[in-house]
Amino acid sequence: MDLDLLSDSLVIGLTEHAPLVLAAIGFALLYRLTGLINVAYSETVTLGAYFGMWTNTTFGLNFYAVLIPAGIMAGLVSVATYFAVFRPAKRLNVGVLEMIIISFGLSIFLRHGLQFIFGYPVRFFDVPPPDTIRVLGVGVGSFRLVALASVAVLSLVIFWVIQRSSLGLQIRALASDEDLAQASGIRPLFVTVLIWFIAGVAGGLAGAFYGVGSSVAPLLGWRQFLFILLVVLVGGAKGLGGVIVTGIITGVALAAMSLQFGQVLYAQLALILGFMVLLKVRSRRIAETGKV
Amino acid sequence: MTDTAKNPDVAGDPEIAVSDTSPTTVTRPQIEVKGAVKSFDGRVVVDVDKLVMGDVPIEGLIGPNGAGKTTLMRMVMHSTSLDSGTVSLLPEGPGSKSITLSNLPTHRMAHHGVVKSNQVIMDFDKLTILDSLLLAVATARYERPHRIFDERRVYDGAIEEIHRYLELFGIEDPYRFAGSAGEKKLLDIIRCLLLQPRFLLLDEPTAGLPDDLTEKVMEVVRELADAGTAVVIVEHDLNVIWSLSDEVHFMAEGKVLMKGSPDDIRQHKTVIENYLGEGHV
Amino acid sequence: MNLDWLDAFLISGLFHVVVVVGLGLLLHLQLGLARIANFGVVGFWGVGMYTFGVLFVKVDWPFGDVWAFLISLVAATIVAGLAGLLVGWLIADLDEDGVLVGTLGFATAVFILATTEQDLTGGALGLGGLKFPYNVGSVKANEFLWLIIVTLVVFAIFLYAWRVHRSPYGRLLIAVGANEPLARSLGKPAFRTKLWLFGVGSAGMGLLGALFGVMERFLATSNLGIDVTLAAMVALIFGGTARVWGAVLGGVLTIGFFDIVVQSYLPLPREWYSQAIPVLRELIFGLAIMIVLLFRPLGILGDMRRDKLMRSVHSD
Repeated sequence: MDLDLLSDSLVIGLTEHAPLVLAAIGFALLYRLTGLINVAYSETVTLGAYFGMWTNTTFGLNFYAVLIPAGIMAGLVSVATYFAVFRPAKRLNVGVLEMIIISFGLSIFLRHGLQFIFGYPVRFFDVPPPDTIRVLGVGVGSFRLVALASVAVLSLVIFWVIQRSSLGLQIRALASDEDLAQASGIRPLFVTVLIWFIAGVAGGLAGAFYGVGSSVAPLLGWRQFLFILLVVLVGGAKGLGGVIVTGIITGVALAAMSLQFGQVLYAQLALILGFMVLLKVRSRRIAETGKV
Repeated sequence: MTDTAKNPDVAGDPEIAVSDTSPTTVTRPQIEVKGAVKSFDGRVVVDVDKLVMGDVPIEGLIGPNGAGKTTLMRMVMHSTSLDSGTVSLLPEGPGSKSITLSNLPTHRMAHHGVVKSNQVIMDFDKLTILDSLLLAVATARYERPHRIFDERRVYDGAIEEIHRYLELFGIEDPYRFAGSAGEKKLLDIIRCLLLQPRFLLLDEPTAGLPDDLTEKVMEVVRELADAGTAVVIVEHDLNVIWSLSDEVHFMAEGKVLMKGSPDDIRQHKTVIENYLGEGHV
Repeated sequence: MNLDWLDAFLISGLFHVVVVVGLGLLLHLQLGLARIANFGVVGFWGVGMYTFGVLFVKVDWPFGDVWAFLISLVAATIVAGLAGLLVGWLIADLDEDGVLVGTLGFATAVFILATTEQDLTGGALGLGGLKFPYNVGSVKANEFLWLIIVTLVVFAIFLYAWRVHRSPYGRLLIAVGANEPLARSLGKPAFRTKLWLFGVGSAGMGLLGALFGVMERFLATSNLGIDVTLAAMVALIFGGTARVWGAVLGGVLTIGFFDIVVQSYLPLPREWYSQAIPVLRELIFGLAIMIVLLFRPLGILGDMRRDKLMRSVHSD
């Protein structure tokens, strides 16, 4: 393989698609905790971009300053959806299938509701063009580098928290058996809300990074959702680390293929097909239905 | 022998070589379990070196909870995969070949006449009793997307037999849904019977059934066995085992520890210590 | 024939209702009976629409328009059906998460292909040149006739679904949806069943997509968005996922409400119609899905009354 292509793909892949890894981590946290796919997570990403843009244009803060409010607001929206939709659904014993469709409905609801708040037209961050820094011969915007750095830091922090800290232990206990966890003195509500918040923050930050690089539109998060989903479903079998690694590989692969094919969409298509094959191969083992 | 009249999709099926036995003696199908091992979460649940079932009409399979009886049955049905070993349907008569059931998907079992009832209550909550029974009798050729006018045909073909069972078991209104757990259990058994099994695995068939129905089930099972079906019954209700079985296997900790006549097993020291002495659970 | 009374918007609105009802009926078989959540409805619809459009417009047929039309239509249906078999094969042994990813991925792939293969499809700019296989006078008359034709097609789909409920095939679908392992133990080939269900359903969705493309007389990637899948889902879920009349009632109450009543008969300010109303429509659809599935999951019509059905079909 052409060394230039490799280094270019690495740089572009990591910097351009770092937000994907971040979003995947947030989604994986939720998936791990609830076992359910939350389609509306894509709107957490979108709203992060909108909140960032709004804070930036309303208060004139620079991009880095808006990251915190953007993340926090997205986290709060995430928690709000937990209380408004997902917790009641759990109480009502809604099945897995229905839950996915409900989260789809929520996604649609949020995607269009936000337009009544932030307006219909596409919006933009009001930031000066970022400095271009040359990395391995490729010009990269400073925002992107910050995105990569943030993703790296956040991934490590979250990974450490989940895998090593006592909080992480509580989360993992809660995920596997709620009754048992509760009996062990873990407060399910607190831990659950915390997870929804962290996932929301991760998604929101990812959204802000996506948004500053291009535009802020209602479909921002949805456009990434399929890839977030693929990364988590395929990589998540090996835990959070697997998600991070799969996310990185996906980003680099996307960049490499975009460069090769000269067309981003082909890269996406190839990735979709590749993941589907992987999914199918892995699922051969569902012969074990066992109950009959 | 496969009855091609009842299974029209069988003719020309590459999985079965047609046997040329003379049609006088009733050949009972036999299933051989060889070296079958299954572990869950690192714990060996089933470890059966060699077991042949079907050499007598009705076989009982008893043992304490957790002995692996149900798992073994599920392995025969291949609804649970085998970590190693095989389950085969032995050849019946000269010219026929053995069929490795453990290489086939679960839905092919009924095709070979291997049918199992369920220990846990399994039902189609959206289907009425009649639906459930019609589902059991319908063959694949009528269950295709373009066959939307064949309800009558399937019904007419099976309704006599269905009515027989409904009357026998006292189910008066088949147009409603199965209500109690006992009724669902019964329905499960009738479905199995309607599949015209050549090899019938019953997993605790009488649990949850009132005594009179238990009697009737036992009668039907006896009739089936006399007509050539091999029956294996897993039961905790030992009265059923002693009265019905021609032979009993005792299983504990995943292994088939002994096999013998009901009387032999009943009096065997190990069995009494490990199982009978503790009571029925 | 004097069609002055017939508003072009009304024809369009009725057409949307009819088409969504059609999609909803097919989705009913997949989601309502066999319990497979097909998030890729728009993918099959798109395959049908684009296959028809590209074949009709781009191929130099050696015979007249009507034949070209019919052949393109049949081909579109078949290709959509094949796509259905492919996707069905992919998802038939996957769990709910896998089905979501598989169907959604397929729909996305269709969108991507329609956009990238510009030479064939016109890409984001679209492709014109589609037309009705007849001409009865005015555009409005042509559209009205097409509306009637497509209504008949959807009626046929309804009859099929209606008959499925009363046939062994329908029973099998319900069994697979209700308890797949149990169905398997009864000898039912669940994988194959789901595979062919997808094949047949997708062919229907593709046909509807092609018929829609004809009405539009244009291929546009804007017709390949998730909103089509959403419309079919909300119509079915709102009306009643488990009932054959569910998609019909739901379609009329959701799409009918927005695309006919709100569009033509509510005296709302003009400027709302360009953006506010379409956005509100989607918002309410999303909300409807949530509320129905949380509080009355089986929709307005509730559960299927299998006991009544069996009694009426079988007791003499």
